[in-house]
Amino acid sequence: MGAPLIQARDITLVFKSKDREPITALRGFNLEVGKGEFVSIVGPSGCGKSTFLNLLLGLIKADSGEMTLDGSPISGPGQERAMVFQEFGLLPWRTVRANVELGLELKGISSPERAQRATELISLVGLKDFERHYPHELSGGMKQRVGLARALATEPEVLLMDEPFAALDAQTRDLMQSELLQIWERTKKTVLFVTHSIEEAAYLSDRVIIMTARPGRAKETLKIQLPRPRDYEMRLTPQFNDIKSRIWDVLKEELTSRVLQ
Amino acid sequence: MKKKFFAEHRRFWLGLGSVLFVLAAWEVLLTYVFPLNPFFFTKPSLIAVAFKEQVISGALWGDLAVSSKAFLWGFSFAILLGIPLGALMGWRRKAGYTLDPFFTALYASPLVALAPLIIVVFGVGLFAKSVLVFALSVFPFIFNTFAGVRSTDRLLINVVRSFGGGEKDLYLKVILPSTLPYIIAGARIALGRGLVGIIVGEFYAASEGIGYAISRFGDTYRLPEMFAAIFLLMIAAVGLTEGMRKLENVLAPWKTTQESR
Repeated sequence: MGAPLIQARDITLVFKSKDREPITALRGFNLEVGKGEFVSIVGPSGCGKSTFLNLLLGLIKADSGEMTLDGSPISGPGQERAMVFQEFGLLPWRTVRANVELGLELKGISSPERAQRATELISLVGLKDFERHYPHELSGGMKQRVGLARALATEPEVLLMDEPFAALDAQTRDLMQSELLQIWERTKKTVLFVTHSIEEAAYLSDRVIIMTARPGRAKETLKIQLPRPRDYEMRLTPQFNDIKSRIWDVLKEELTSRVLQ
Repeated sequence: MKKKFFAEHRRFWLGLGSVLFVLAAWEVLLTYVFPLNPFFFTKPSLIAVAFKEQVISGALWGDLAVSSKAFLWGFSFAILLGIPLGALMGWRRKAGYTLDPFFTALYASPLVALAPLIIVVFGVGLFAKSVLVFALSVFPFIFNTFAGVRSTDRLLINVVRSFGGGEKDLYLKVILPSTLPYIIAGARIALGRGLVGIIVGEFYAASEGIGYAISRFGDTYRLPEMFAAIFLLMIAAVGLTEGMRKLENVLAPWKTTQESR
């Protein structure tokens, strides 16, 4: 394998605010993600994992450290990256179709091409019959399908997912995870997936990165040696439980150290 | 079948029923129970006759036209000035903080108290009345636009930025549509205040207009005619409010379907 697609070296980010002590969200954070890889980041609440995605997306800037994508430094939002947001982030005044077209519109793509791409993606995520619905008429799972379609529509190389299924009920979450895997296997995007759920991270990823409590840095990386394509039954095997308990062991120390602080 | 018809239009039938009941009770009470001096009070049957004479015959139409003209001028300028001012206050925090105390004080005060002053300064006639309508109806536009812009969802701003949207995109694709329902709600409040402005203006100094007609009939103890004029005003006000609701359905369909659930 050549140079990694995403490379973050020694990232430090401090949130300064007028009436509170500055908060060091990340310190000495390092990460490498290869092309086509599915990498999850798990860590205690407030460890800076979502913040890191925002850095990668280019919405905020690090105080120090270096972050590159395909060798060039990240200086702002760009075509190669798209985010799926935890709270969906759908525009309530736009229909499903218009929401999916949003990214394409902002990139100045012509209307017929937009329409064609949106049609493809809407059917990819199984929302063909809901194109004209407004977000408030959809269930949580459907909303996140729109979020996923919107991100994929711009044909990014990297898909950033910030706890995308955290707001969904357990069954919908299981279903969405399986569908995400299927879509990933078809599109071969590089995915960086932030989650609270050990199970989710283990099931989806090639690698799981476990972060320390704040200030966050990568504590340990686990390769998930499960064959692909994966299915739901795989989660019931002893091997899968093994992986989960290994992640848990590392995470546990961080959770307790945080409580004791 | 009949039952179902009533159930479906329950809102309409109950509303109509209550109005008819009140009118009938009024008529019966004043005819049989307390037959009051017709100089001091009147009843629906006499008002209906007067309405036919004054309104349907067209005697009050000239007055209605005069009042409408002043209302339209004042209200239009309230829209044209109020919305940009409110938007400016929402976008630019400094402008918001600077202007807020003045506007809050003016909005909270009963500005109709200024009517005599406005008439002294601008004289009797269209201009003074328009100024009064403007003074009363501009504040709901300012404050609702202000509130709408300020309450724009940060997440949606980040979504648009993440897809490479610039400042213009933020305004057009997020801030404007999310503020629109606030502006329409403000317009409904402004409507009521504007109508007060026109009537009070015409009470003070005018030789024509609905407000003048009401005060002239009142002064000459022609109560049925006075009520006929008030009734005409009510019809106009209800018509405008309903028109506003229709406008909301057209401009903000996502909002109205949400509320009716």
